[in-house]
Amino acid sequence: MSTNNLSHLSRRDFLRLAGAAATATAATAAQAVLAPEARAAAPAPAPAWESKFGVCDMCFNRCGLIARVEKGVITKLDPNPRFTKSRGMLCARGNAGVDQVYDPDRLKTPLLRVGERGQGKWKRISWDEALELAATKMKDIAAKHTRCGMLFSAGADTQSQFVNRFAEAYGSYNVTSHESLCLLSGNRAFVDTFGDVPLPDVRNSKYVILAGANRLEALVTPDSMDIVSILGQGAKVVVLDPRYTKSAALASEWHAIRPGTDMAFMLALANVIIAEKLYDAAFMAERTSGLDKLAAHVAGMTPAWAEAETGIPAADIARIARELAAAAPAAMVYPGRRSSDYENSTQIRRSFAIVNALLGNWDRPGGLVPARPAGLKKVPFEPPFYDDNPPGRVDAKSVPLLFDEEGSFVITRDAVIKGAPYPLKGWFVYKTNPMATAPERRKTREMIDKLDFMVVVDITMSDTAWMADLVLPAPSALERQDPVQALQAGAEGACLVWRDPVIAPLHESRPVFEVLKVLAGKLGFPEAFDFDIPKYREMQLAGLPEAAEILKRDGVFYPPNPPLGTTDGQPFKTPSQKIELYSTRYADMGLDPLPVYAAPKPSPDAARRFRLVAGRSACVTQASSTNNALLSEFEPENTLWLNDGAAKELGIKQGDVVQVESPAGKGELKALVTPKIRSDTVYMLTGFGSISGGLSRTRGVGASIVELMESRFDAICGNSAIHETFVSVRKKGAA
Amino acid sequence: MNAKLAMVIDSAKCIDCKACVAACKQANHVSRGVWRNWIKEAAPPLENGKLGRGHFQPGACMHCDEPSCVAACPTGATYKNTADGTVVIDHKLCIGCGNCLKACPYGARFRDPVKRIADKCTYCPERRAAGLAPACVDTCPTKARVFGDINDPGSAAAQLLAANKGRVVRVIAKEKDTKPNMYYLASTAPDGWAVKPVDPLSFDALSQVVAPLVKYAVGLSGLGVLAMLGRQLLAGPKPEATPGHDTKEDGHDAS
Repeated sequence: MSTNNLSHLSRRDFLRLAGAAATATAATAAQAVLAPEARAAAPAPAPAWESKFGVCDMCFNRCGLIARVEKGVITKLDPNPRFTKSRGMLCARGNAGVDQVYDPDRLKTPLLRVGERGQGKWKRISWDEALELAATKMKDIAAKHTRCGMLFSAGADTQSQFVNRFAEAYGSYNVTSHESLCLLSGNRAFVDTFGDVPLPDVRNSKYVILAGANRLEALVTPDSMDIVSILGQGAKVVVLDPRYTKSAALASEWHAIRPGTDMAFMLALANVIIAEKLYDAAFMAERTSGLDKLAAHVAGMTPAWAEAETGIPAADIARIARELAAAAPAAMVYPGRRSSDYENSTQIRRSFAIVNALLGNWDRPGGLVPARPAGLKKVPFEPPFYDDNPPGRVDAKSVPLLFDEEGSFVITRDAVIKGAPYPLKGWFVYKTNPMATAPERRKTREMIDKLDFMVVVDITMSDTAWMADLVLPAPSALERQDPVQALQAGAEGACLVWRDPVIAPLHESRPVFEVLKVLAGKLGFPEAFDFDIPKYREMQLAGLPEAAEILKRDGVFYPPNPPLGTTDGQPFKTPSQKIELYSTRYADMGLDPLPVYAAPKPSPDAARRFRLVAGRSACVTQASSTNNALLSEFEPENTLWLNDGAAKELGIKQGDVVQVESPAGKGELKALVTPKIRSDTVYMLTGFGSISGGLSRTRGVGASIVELMESRFDAICGNSAIHETFVSVRKKGAA
Repeated sequence: MNAKLAMVIDSAKCIDCKACVAACKQANHVSRGVWRNWIKEAAPPLENGKLGRGHFQPGACMHCDEPSCVAACPTGATYKNTADGTVVIDHKLCIGCGNCLKACPYGARFRDPVKRIADKCTYCPERRAAGLAPACVDTCPTKARVFGDINDPGSAAAQLLAANKGRVVRVIAKEKDTKPNMYYLASTAPDGWAVKPVDPLSFDALSQVVAPLVKYAVGLSGLGVLAMLGRQLLAGPKPEATPGHDTKEDGHDAS
């Protein structure tokens, strides 16, 4: 068991924290913390509970929190006011973290499959048996198929770095994460334009275009909160979305853009900004390359041209371009996060990056800022070399610009099914759930059927765990000790967090770190895990001697943050060392060096008239949260958003059960008939229609979006492309 | 001057994320299926065939200055705490008769399906005693909910009210202004959802709802309950229902 050096907060500490936060950060977060009447009231009794710092794990944001513990039981989670990245908040999902800990659906012991795969027949086994079995199977696979015969997949988690480390020591190149089902297209585009994945400084921005990002529902800290703040201060936020989302509802203006045409909008902005010379000529000359080529490329892409593509009036496009340029450099096209939309999503996001370049907003307040230094040291080791291994990943060279450390799940899955370029027969999965997040669920199932051994480490019996041979129970994030994690908070700089257990691990759960450490010993590479978590943290913090004490005191540490503009004059990490409007690298590789717009292909089948789009609610983090007791009260099932006019044509009324069908599969769910979506588009939440018998609230409830999505991917980086599916919709029982 | 705890809500900041609703449920161990607070969504206006700006309205018990629920309670379980202005339910005295549920024009009360008694927002006294804001206020991502003693000019809530003088509105039922202490900046949309409070002393209510419940209550709690009911009956004529609007400009006069 890991050591427990929890921070206990007295009431005085609370007030001190609150007061400090009030002076250190914007008053918004602090106002709420110190209840005014507390000053006037008689001295309050000391709280009858312990307060311990934690870090939320209900999504990827990892907000700082304070857990209230009464008699060893967590009874409430509150925001940590010192954690300014979240602006002192904890969202509905964060609050529901308590229910995740005490969920009766949690995995309690190691389980060995005894029936057919997916049949749900399990045998309880001991940890010793489980780890011995896993080690034996991994040895067998290495002997039979080389070490690259094992695939390792870890989701967003502070311990996932250990899975990657283990894979490297074991000797497999085949590592995927959730990212190739989410955000790689955007990263690709910004890396290839700016040499970096920048962060938006929303708080200081005067003008933000939110396209392909529903930031007021798909919460990203601090961006979501800052969008609301700047709206109140008179900044303009323009939302492009085929849905009237909550972001659309509160935006300065909303345009129901035709899905798949964002690039036309962006190129028309570039057209206006260049034609009217609304850019900073000195900046463009000094920091960018390819302006002439871009100017020629977009010369014909006028607002009138873009109106025909996007459905947004030309006058609005021209006006937005001028307003955006007038607000520059404190203006941005928001880069977005999930960008797994279309087969040309890298090029779509390149067009976002190019407009940002024209705004001259790099490293400027209210613009895009480079990732801030965090000061964490890597904990290196010498990975062994296995000379029988194949030359690369199974998905190597499948697309021109694969991120080698992430790969492409969709392409890897095809390789496993085909058994080519070489057989991949084992799968180690930690806290990621491709059966519920990868398009075309039946193909993920087909992939799993090709495996000799599959082990899943998770806290509940996810749909992916349900398919495994061996399932190992992990503790929740409130029950374990974690390494230091750096989080980026835009211009305000990075912050560091860690976790110490708020309560002891429940059931027989063991953190994946301990699982991997034991396996590393059994497989003959103990040196790769020659540390415990406290030692690892010490090595990470070697350059920040004061950090550990401050982390204990405040639950968060802020490393020194250089002021904006310090990258002025420094080369960009691109081939030309400038911002590449025109990508020479793409030109060399035979890719379009400037984003070439192609109208989205129409549905190949008139019966499938609706484009299926994905998105989020603030109460849902995909399949990892939908089974949560509290969150299921807000989102008990998913519904199909269907335009009211289209519904009328189809004879579908509010609440009717509809059958949705695509070439990938089908599903049944209730219709939400609404004017809040275009008549050519339908939408549903992810994370429902589960198949696992261990998910009591979502099994068979609503429809699974991955049952419907076709397996498309970004042609440049292999990221999943989940908006390329057209579906038919009809009332259940109708002919 | 006594304190008057109130909530001042900058609803333009509300993104309808339900964090306040979730936090309240966790902090107060509210049963599944019922809620002490809410966020209501205004139907977006249609402007040139396009949906216009939306508005979300967080709410909860408004801790009114003239609470119709207090008058409706036959046992005295519901009362106005004059020290801090909160409307409180003494769970030991509540018999679960449900009068107060109908008496509240805002639907702020419910019968807890497990405890079988009335329940509603308390402004989290346990948290306040520990120097913390109510759970919904503490957790709010955009800090739309601001809480405090509006009789203390130094409080954030009083300052927000003062800074927005002339813009502050309240949700008020057409039939009766209960002088709610829930203040909204600029907009109370959606309007018109507050209902007519059902006064248990009216003949209709007495014959249809209250009488059997009172009998039941008397059977349960004996003469003490009857005495309390008698006290309320003798308390004099109710104030005339004020003809009003759903939203009323600046309710600051209530202090």
